[in-house]
Amino acid sequence: MVTVKIDGKEVQVAPNTLILDAAKEAGVTIPTLCHDSRLNPFGACRVCLVEQVNNPKLQAACTTPVTDKMEIITRSEKLSRVRKTAIELLLINHPLDCPVCDKGGECTLQDLTYEVGVTKVRFDAKPNDTPVDHTNPFIERDIDRCVLCGRCVRICDEVVNIQAISFLNRGTDTIIGTSFEQPWNCEYCGQCISVCPVGSLNNRIYLFKNRPWNLERVKSVCGLCSCGCTVDIDYEGNEVFRMKESPAEGINHGYMCAKGRFGFEFINSIKRQSEAVVKAGGESKKVSFNEAVEVAVEKLRKVKDTAGADAIAVVVSPRLTNEEAFLAGKLAKDVLGTSNLFSTESEEVYPEATLEEVENSDCVTVLNIDVTESNPILGLAVRHAARMGSAPLAVFYPGYTALKRVAKKFVTGNPDEVRASMESYAAAVAGASNEYSEWAAKLTKAERPVVVFDPYNKADVKIAQDIKKACAKVKVVPAKSKNNSVGIVDMGFGAKCATEFAKGLESGKFKAVVVLGENLSARSVWTKSASKAAGLELLLVTDPFMSETAAMSNVYIPVATFAEKSGSFTNLEGRVQSIEKAVDKGVNTDACVVSAIAKGLGAQLPADANAVRGMIEKEVPLYSGINWDGGVVSYPYVFAGEVAATDGKAKGKGRFFLYPASLRLHSGSFTRWSPDLAKVYGEPMLEIGVEDAKELGIKSKDRVKVKGEGFEGEFLVEIEKKVSKGCIALPEDFVATAGIFCNGKSLRADIVK
Amino acid sequence: MKNVFETIFFTEILQGLGITLSHMFKKPVTYRYPFEATPIQDRFRGIQYIKTHADGRTKCVGCYLCQKVCPSECIHIETDCGPNGERLIRKYELDLSRCIYCGYCEEVCPVDAIHMGWEWNTVASDRSGYVINMKTLSMNYKDNLEGNWKNKHLKKKLVEGVQQ
Ligand code: SF4
Ligand code: SF4
Ligand code: SF4
Ligand code: SF4
Ligand code: SF4
Ligand code: FES
Repeated sequence: MVTVKIDGKEVQVAPNTLILDAAKEAGVTIPTLCHDSRLNPFGACRVCLVEQVNNPKLQAACTTPVTDKMEIITRSEKLSRVRKTAIELLLINHPLDCPVCDKGGECTLQDLTYEVGVTKVRFDAKPNDTPVDHTNPFIERDIDRCVLCGRCVRICDEVVNIQAISFLNRGTDTIIGTSFEQPWNCEYCGQCISVCPVGSLNNRIYLFKNRPWNLERVKSVCGLCSCGCTVDIDYEGNEVFRMKESPAEGINHGYMCAKGRFGFEFINSIKRQSEAVVKAGGESKKVSFNEAVEVAVEKLRKVKDTAGADAIAVVVSPRLTNEEAFLAGKLAKDVLGTSNLFSTESEEVYPEATLEEVENSDCVTVLNIDVTESNPILGLAVRHAARMGSAPLAVFYPGYTALKRVAKKFVTGNPDEVRASMESYAAAVAGASNEYSEWAAKLTKAERPVVVFDPYNKADVKIAQDIKKACAKVKVVPAKSKNNSVGIVDMGFGAKCATEFAKGLESGKFKAVVVLGENLSARSVWTKSASKAAGLELLLVTDPFMSETAAMSNVYIPVATFAEKSGSFTNLEGRVQSIEKAVDKGVNTDACVVSAIAKGLGAQLPADANAVRGMIEKEVPLYSGINWDGGVVSYPYVFAGEVAATDGKAKGKGRFFLYPASLRLHSGSFTRWSPDLAKVYGEPMLEIGVEDAKELGIKSKDRVKVKGEGFEGEFLVEIEKKVSKGCIALPEDFVATAGIFCNGKSLRADIVK
Repeated sequence: MKNVFETIFFTEILQGLGITLSHMFKKPVTYRYPFEATPIQDRFRGIQYIKTHADGRTKCVGCYLCQKVCPSECIHIETDCGPNGERLIRKYELDLSRCIYCGYCEEVCPVDAIHMGWEWNTVASDRSGYVINMKTLSMNYKDNLEGNWKNKHLKKKLVEGVQQ
């Protein structure tokens, strides 16, 4: 510990603390422009200069570490002058754009100019006037407003590790841009927007729509994937204007991905339904919420009386809150008396490692999952470990992913080869001597090893379990996909196998099915039997949109999205986090639907999240005494039991290996209703390697037919140099592709032109 | 004594009558509204107008400052991104029935777009016309510029004030 005196206040800080942080400790704020505590010190703007007693040279507080007995002065006449000059120099080329600049009202440069009291620039103002760049679908780049703080460049390099943008040219000609002014080769994560202190990089989804002072804000959790990012939802009236990072809170350090940052517009979509629909005798009629519930209740009663409670099934989607899923379970078990609770999730695997543990791991292995696409924030944690902590990273995947840049070892090949490699790797961890022994040794020698895998792929789960068995200190991360994939299992929707539901539909066992938020047609386990659901006595579907399943239903009730309700989600770490209601779109929540049905059947279930939480704490042992905003559930086990060995070999015949791949900004279920994401990827794209495409004579954006055993489909082609030779890939969760991957995760197929 | 004299001869009443009588021959100081309009001073704050560029585009850039500063919250603006990435004003509404003619909006406008005009007559038999939009506000500019006053007493010299 060293002692420093800042503005007369003495504080004890660790050696090598930056003056800026020591000042914070002392309760003194030093103005900054280019500093970001998540990034390495840079020192570009000189706004944070401070005086050190007995040192004639001014020090940059954001780059200078403290020394013992240091005395710092942060406010003085000299410093005011220097800071003012620093700002004035920035303003020489800065256009007077505030009235039209999207940053106006929350701009650091505006604030600083005001703070230091610049009213006139003493120098000859030469405002830049370069055309604004709109080549990125999500980011507006106006280089005239740039203050060259380098935060965007640094975050894209240090955190995202894409290095899409950089400083170009030298001296006064320096600008921020892509190398050789090429189109952005970018992940569209928007991290650069979030750190830009001025209006140089702007969110095009929010662009010019409103002003920050008009917006109200709630802290909530993003409902688009299982990472569980803490976000701020900015809204005015009943419209959501943006979803914004909230750097001070949450497990995501203020990082977000394209889905969260740019995909939220589906909440405001005009395609959303506002009225319930009841179909009878081939005719559909718009009815009120109460009428729809009445019809559903009547039918449920009838089915229960005639065919018994076992003919009723309840299916929930992982989009529901814990509270809603719990209520749905109560409705099924206590009110309807059925044990047919289904979801796509299962309780075979529970979360283990937290994101923080991944970040601080000293050896990371990623098994057969494109984690930066499927779980972007988990991807950032893996990158952090591999880059900042220099943990050796081994990735197994049938094609290069964004992790290629940081991976020390990247094993590709066709899916069968990758599987074989993973098996030998697991064997090597268990002690066998083979080509992976050296890598296995890194894992077994590490203190905090982490293995990330895809819990939906049985063969991968087996390998992860083998590794865990051989090396007990390994912490695994099952990269679940949806925002509450973990929570609905905890609420009782993971006990039964999803295939059982498909069988029940096929055999006609189920007469009444209540589907809360799920789209059966887009899930590969159910897509084949989904059509059977159309003929049921009752198919009640709740969904914010008229999904394929909703269109088949005979009772449809529109419901709220995550921005319109309160409750909690459990993320992929098993962390329970509260969501907050921001807007009201005039539709009911799933909780209201369940509670109304229960009421119709003569039972009382509360719809209010707080009341339900009390019930959960009593009835779900895992959640007794849980902290609803940030508590981690302690699970009894990671793997439920010995995972059966499956034949992971690609099924069928054909020239190509077909595997489910990168989700391409969205998984196709919820986010496909987002007009902005759809602009970039509106439909599933077939990815093919450069060589294969050349051999077949296919060009990008061609439409080709994919044919395999038992499936066929036509897709747009995207030529990707990352894809290995002899492989093709399709995203999984679109309706058009669910019918393909219901045959297996790894297939063989042919391309017919 | 004097008092008695005044009481007997009603001198004060006669004085009063004299003043009244003298006014019969003077010009009146009141205006017979609505047959006659009142004169307007240069710094009068009347119904707003929004300046346009020479090609007819509005000068307003939709910065929301007037909406923010307006104490009676009578300005409503909606903006969006135009097809070429420009700032687009979807809606600009000003509710004259709420406006207190304080002139803050004029004061705050960073691009010299909104101004207080000299026209003040909002009288109508129903309220529908009280909410005016960008089109009306731009028309008002033209009227102020060309001196198409409803109020006949507004003089041409005010037009100069508009032009500067
Ligand atoms: S959006 Fe993300 S990947 Fe793209 S330039 Fe910005 S930080 Fe880099
Ligand atoms: S674009 Fe923004 S973040 Fe990047 S250097 Fe310029 S001012 Fe900084
Ligand atoms: S990473 Fe997941 S939780 Fe985070 S912003 Fe993106 S979609 Fe939302
Ligand atoms: S004059 Fe005052 S009250 Fe009227 S619109 Fe302007 S700011 Fe609002
Ligand atoms: S202050 Fe001026 S430029 Fe801004 S919105 Fe109002 S009228 Fe338009
Ligand atoms: S904040 Fe320290 S130099 Fe910019």
